[in-house]
Amino acid sequence: MLEVENIEAGYGPIRALDGVSLHVAAGELVAIIGANGAGKTTLLMAISGVVPIRSGQVRFEGRPVTGLAPHEIVRLGIGHSPEGRRIFPRLSVRENLELGGFTRSDRAEMRRDIDEVCGLFPVLGSRMGQMGGTLSGGEQQMLALGRALVGRPRLLLLDEPSLGLAPLVVAKIFEVIAGLSARGIAVVLVEQNARAALKLASRGYVLETGRITLSGSGTELAHDHRVRDAYLGEG
Amino acid sequence: MSVQFFLQQCLIGLTNGALVALVALGYTMVYGIIGLINFAHGDLIMLGACLALSLVTALGLATAGPTATWLGIALLIVACGLFCGTLNVCVDRIVYKPLRNAPKLAPLVSAIGVSFIFMNIGLFWIGPSDRSFPELLPSTNLLPGEGLQFTWKDLLVLVVVVPLMLGLSLLVKTTRLGRAMRAVSQDPTAAALVGVDVDRVIAATFFIGGALGGAASVIYGLYINTIGFQMGFQNGLYAFTAAVLGGIGSIPGAVVGGLVIGFVRSLSSAYVGERWTGAIVFAILIVILVFRPEGLLGRRTKEKV
Ligand SMILES: Nc1ncnc2c1ncn2[C@@H]1O[C@H](COP(=O)(O)OP(=O)(O)O)[C@@H](O)[C@H]1O
Ligand SMILES: [Mg+2]
Repeated sequence: MLEVENIEAGYGPIRALDGVSLHVAAGELVAIIGANGAGKTTLLMAISGVVPIRSGQVRFEGRPVTGLAPHEIVRLGIGHSPEGRRIFPRLSVRENLELGGFTRSDRAEMRRDIDEVCGLFPVLGSRMGQMGGTLSGGEQQMLALGRALVGRPRLLLLDEPSLGLAPLVVAKIFEVIAGLSARGIAVVLVEQNARAALKLASRGYVLETGRITLSGSGTELAHDHRVRDAYLGEG
Repeated sequence: MSVQFFLQQCLIGLTNGALVALVALGYTMVYGIIGLINFAHGDLIMLGACLALSLVTALGLATAGPTATWLGIALLIVACGLFCGTLNVCVDRIVYKPLRNAPKLAPLVSAIGVSFIFMNIGLFWIGPSDRSFPELLPSTNLLPGEGLQFTWKDLLVLVVVVPLMLGLSLLVKTTRLGRAMRAVSQDPTAAALVGVDVDRVIAATFFIGGALGGAASVIYGLYINTIGFQMGFQNGLYAFTAAVLGGIGSIPGAVVGGLVIGFVRSLSSAYVGERWTGAIVFAILIVILVFRPEGLLGRRTKEKV
């Protein structure tokens, strides 16, 4: 459903992506691992249209999306929960979730989806009137994930959803992510926590300084000695 | 120096302040959404006043009957609102939008440039000397007794400004556009990633801020009765000060700041002397900012999550 073909992107003179290609099938969970500064965030931002693509092509469900504005790409069905969560700090939890469904016109259905998110993350349900900025880091991550889900994406880009969170919260977040495939939502999961990501993913890619250097099934990568040396912290 | 005199100054302060607040909203809304101090806003309003004067002349409102006069005023407000709103959107599209990712100084200097261009257009439009804006409303006192003066002009200010402010706060708090505006002001990228068309929301903000300025320009003409191509500078400065005083970016802050400036101006003109008013207003601004740099209703810290 998503095909990224040989894209280049960057910031001014910095070339952060140097010919990256990957593909994601419908309902599939694909992990992208790589060191800090490898270009993972840039890759997701380029797919979403926030960072302009200088060459190459991104296709979603067969149609080219390269050059579309971010809001148009969201409308096509690509959700994005960005690095650092970036919830709206001075909007209430409810308003944050409602903004997740900004592109939707079926208000009643959207309410049901918001209730469903609160079912997944009960703590959000009990904080609906609170400002987003007053939530703890873990709660903010749940809100960011919930906000993206209310948009009913067919493909969801997740950028470091476990970063800086307590183990219990990480487990909860990964549990919800694991359940997305069952609901038919394809996921691109960018993670520092390579072990957990490769366990969930059907396939994975390794990104190093703007290039894909390895790819394979989750188990293959998890057992690859180069991946183990560089990203799994074992010899 | 009686109580009555004091109350009279307060009434003057209230109407003046309401007018300042209406202009301040244009500064604070644009700042809130893209972090730009739109120095051209005062001159935008000057152009609105020029249009209002031209329309008054063209429609012959100075000699119209009472019903026609009120209808004419309503028409002026709508026309000048549309004019200033549209002009503001055009300036954003042509001048500020290409500079969205440039260093902050670039759009700021451009705004000063736009201000000068507007002033030149105003000079061309109404000429170099001040023009008197016809008295369209009777100066009969609406309050009983001899003492306090509250005329149709004063009433007009409140009748226009109060509903506009209530409407604006309702729009920002409850509508889909309002929610998108608040989202963009807090994190434009995150807003884009939930499907908000950020450029459209910014354009809408410029339109609303400009349209409020257009309404203010008509009221200014009818209330002050003198307009000139340089009026944008001083009035803009007072309104900008009001926005900073209230907490720039905050809509209630602009209203409070406008009222504070209105009261300080009228009271200091009455009790200290007109020529000291400017100095007093800015002395108060400095004192408040020393103790509350974020302004009266501004946020204390820029939280970054
Ligand atoms: N806004 C930016 N401006 C300039 N350079 C950037 C910006 N964001 C990222 N970079 C650079 O692009 C490269 C890739 O960064 P990023 O995509 O954030 O990597 P990752 O998410 O894998 O840590 C890095 O060298 C980083 O310094
Ligand atoms: Mg990153």
